[in-house]
Amino acid sequence: MQERVLDCLGEPCPVPLVKAQRALEDLEAGDILIVQIDHSCAMKSLPEWARDAGHNVEIEEIDNGEWEVVIEKS
Amino acid sequence: MAGIKRHSHPRPRRHRSQIPLGILFGLLVLWIGIRFLRSSPTLAFFWFTGIAFGFVLQKARFCFTASMRDAFLTGRTRLTKAVLVAFAITSVGFWALMFGAHQSGRPIPGMAFVAPLGLHTVAGAFLFGLGMVIAGGCASGTLMRVGEGFTMQIIALLFFIIGSLLGAAHFRWWDVTIIQPAPRVHLPQLFGWFGSIAIQLVIIALLWIAADKYGKARQHAATGRTAQK
Repeated sequence: MQERVLDCLGEPCPVPLVKAQRALEDLEAGDILIVQIDHSCAMKSLPEWARDAGHNVEIEEIDNGEWEVVIEKS
Repeated sequence: MAGIKRHSHPRPRRHRSQIPLGILFGLLVLWIGIRFLRSSPTLAFFWFTGIAFGFVLQKARFCFTASMRDAFLTGRTRLTKAVLVAFAITSVGFWALMFGAHQSGRPIPGMAFVAPLGLHTVAGAFLFGLGMVIAGGCASGTLMRVGEGFTMQIIALLFFIIGSLLGAAHFRWWDVTIIQPAPRVHLPQLFGWFGSIAIQLVIIALLWIAADKYGKARQHAATGRTAQK
């Protein structure tokens, strides 16, 4: 089981999602990907996509306007 | 954190409540609005509708850029469908306003916005699309994210202003040589009042179905690929 942190702070909407999609392809089922974001649109699109793709998703608000999206690949 | 067990600890939270600040800001907006109302009701109207629109845009995360871009980039068409539904609703609304005016013999509102149609429409739309994907937001979206404090889009806004000024400076030339000679197309004049709204709604419905099918196909392909691994 590995865990990867993806720093997407300062990146606008589609970039965190595309990076997360690529990062998840390299991971095995059960691995965890933590995506750090500060773009409110990505906070919506990223978890939505990941849930639709069947992964477990949790969102943590670290600071006002800063989130960690925790994705467990299934 | 109930479900997922992570090894690393999340960074310490520095989350503070923004509600007191929000109330303060709300009162300020109201106070400025009332001041506007005394000098010019139109200004007050713009002030309140502008802020209301921004509020809805921010809370609903209604992103025109994502509605066009995500279908290609990530295969998600939820926003595409949402925008199509919005188009359908506004179509009916505008149609009702125009048809109502036509029936009672008043001048039809909004006819000044029936712009000449031609290749320049396609070229402009393409450039706008290119710009909004690179900048990470259309005009309203960029403004909304500047308000949220996203630094990169402050730069986008700066160049948005520079570009608009440049455009405004030599718009006359484009207008006279290319735009004005092109034909103005108003659908009700072509297909009749009921024909035009029917055709418009059917086209929107077909686009919605296409977006839905495309989104499901992309989703299916993506999950199929993960399952094979």
